[in-house]
Amino acid sequence: MNQHRALLAAATAICVVCASVPAWAQGCELKIGSMGPMSGGAAQWGLAMDAAANLAAAEANAEGGLKVGDKKCHVTVVAYDSKYTADGAAAGANALAAEGIHFIIGPVGAPEATGIKPVAARNEQIAWNASYAKDALTPRYPLMFHMGPGPGAWADAVIKQALKYFKIQSVALIAPNDQGGTDIVTVDEVAYKDNGIKTSSEYYQRGTTNFAPIITRLLAANPDAVDTASSPPGDAGVIVKQLRLAGFTGPIGRNGGPGTAEILRVCGGIDVLKDFYWYEAQPPNTPEMRAIDEEYKKLLGKDQTFGTSMWSNLPGARMTLRAIEVAGTMDDVQKVAEALRHLPVDDPNMGKGLWSGQKQFGIAQELMFAFGVGIIKGGENLGVTRVEPKL
Amino acid sequence: MPEFLEAAIIGVGLGAQYALLALGFTLIFGILGVVNFAHGGFYMLGGYVAYSCVSGLGLPYPLAVLVAVLATAALGWVFELLMIERLIDDHLATLMLTLALYLIISTGVLTVFGPISMEFTFPVGGAFRAGPIYVPRENLIVLAVCLAAIAALYLVLFRTDLGRALRALADDRAVGMALGLRPRLLFPAAFALATGLAGLTGALVTPILSLAPGVGDPVLATSFLTVILGGLGSLGGAALAAFIVGIVEAYTSVYFGGSAGALVLFVMVLLLLVFRPTGLLGRDVRGA
Repeated sequence: MNQHRALLAAATAICVVCASVPAWAQGCELKIGSMGPMSGGAAQWGLAMDAAANLAAAEANAEGGLKVGDKKCHVTVVAYDSKYTADGAAAGANALAAEGIHFIIGPVGAPEATGIKPVAARNEQIAWNASYAKDALTPRYPLMFHMGPGPGAWADAVIKQALKYFKIQSVALIAPNDQGGTDIVTVDEVAYKDNGIKTSSEYYQRGTTNFAPIITRLLAANPDAVDTASSPPGDAGVIVKQLRLAGFTGPIGRNGGPGTAEILRVCGGIDVLKDFYWYEAQPPNTPEMRAIDEEYKKLLGKDQTFGTSMWSNLPGARMTLRAIEVAGTMDDVQKVAEALRHLPVDDPNMGKGLWSGQKQFGIAQELMFAFGVGIIKGGENLGVTRVEPKL
Repeated sequence: MPEFLEAAIIGVGLGAQYALLALGFTLIFGILGVVNFAHGGFYMLGGYVAYSCVSGLGLPYPLAVLVAVLATAALGWVFELLMIERLIDDHLATLMLTLALYLIISTGVLTVFGPISMEFTFPVGGAFRAGPIYVPRENLIVLAVCLAAIAALYLVLFRTDLGRALRALADDRAVGMALGLRPRLLFPAAFALATGLAGLTGALVTPILSLAPGVGDPVLATSFLTVILGGLGSLGGAALAAFIVGIVEAYTSVYFGGSAGALVLFVMVLLLLVFRPTGLLGRDVRGA
């Protein structure tokens, strides 16, 4: 009898323990991928992508797991360093597919976007590129989504804001000589010309470490301003440093990916940068944005040090998980994609946004939120001005 | 005209940096017959050691450079003694070993310091100016160190017993050993000398440009290109080729753009390999 009681007590205890552990501990796991350059000059952007994926996963896990049908699933993130290359992103999509991953937060750059599109389509993977490529989205690849618009949507606002502080009649743009550079520079040039500014452009081989000869060529045109466009922040920092060393005193612009913190670090500080205008993916230092960093620290136990790109990548990661919940499946990728397309763009931190992209790409799978334009004048940071989104 | 003069100044500055890199690379090949794929890793490590000494330990920059040289030389010495020495005649194995070391160094740096560029600036800033022409002070310092390094290497290799022994082993190891020379002592020393040079270059150049994981990648390509042009194993050839590469890169970039610079260099090496496979000052065959 005592033996039976003991057995009953043990069975009851096991049931209680089973009931108290999270449902995901019973075997449901959702793996998502994060992708982007996680080393080299553009590492900040790839790590920001990974940080966004990890925070979205941690948020879901903090709620006891992501509800998929009648299960609660633990969300884990598998990172892949695609090194800002097309082949890196294509290989990454295959590597993640080999782990059964059908949802990728990333990649970042235009070459990566080009590389991942056909491979992800073949593997039935939803991916979110953050590139500024002219063909970041195409109707041919309906599983590709876009984190935010390219310079066509914001370069004009950045230039107009810069003209309030600096006299610019001519500008020289500098960027890598691959798609990650040329796609952005050609769009930036149109925006400058629309504002009555003459342009010239210079391209360099990715991997260049010393920009002194290119800067000599660039300054021979005697531009009023130099725009580092989509040069990775590490490269842009060296360019700024060498521009100032060459005696260039005009404003330096950045109509390209965010990275002001890293540019400041590499160039030697705000006194070297001096006069600077830049596109910021989000207006920083608002309570809503600071809340993201606080939540990151709370859930992941470390500071968010990947810059403002992380904030703008977060809605895409959150919406992917939300779409899986709405679709009630993590296996039927088409159903998840359909659910994603119909989700309202309303992020807890970023506020309301828009599904854009129909006009530029022929497919409205691009998230558009408010963005920022930053100004540093005379070595003083004047802050970032908020610009509302519009189609 | 100002651009023409400026290109020459930049070219000499670039040449000095490339010479420091190429000397170590060609020294290892010339004496050991090993193509050191970890050369860029030692460059990167030199930068990170100097950075850690300056920002972490608060050491003055010149002392940090010295520590970087000693640390990279010590690592090179240990690596040669424990790994390369066992397989020194197996070219494929040494190639894989050095490549593995590079991956270990770059992954280690990434893990310890993270992927983002460090805030590391050269302590001497500014430039000498004459109208539109400018000469950065930091480039002059690198040039001076480069010339001193070439002179010191020359003295070590051609005016000391150590140098004579190393050259003898490079010419004919069997005869050298029969005469009492000990490769197990001398080869690690040569390897350490070369990796110390790479560390010196990293400690000097990364604060001028930037310090991040991956800065060693282009270093390997540049070093390879330079020593092929100069003749694998030739110290004089490496130094000469480094300045040619620097000047050609500067002029082509200034007059034809950044993309053309790399293209012209590779075409130049291609033509040289067709018409003079031994390089500018290379020998037909390594002795040992």
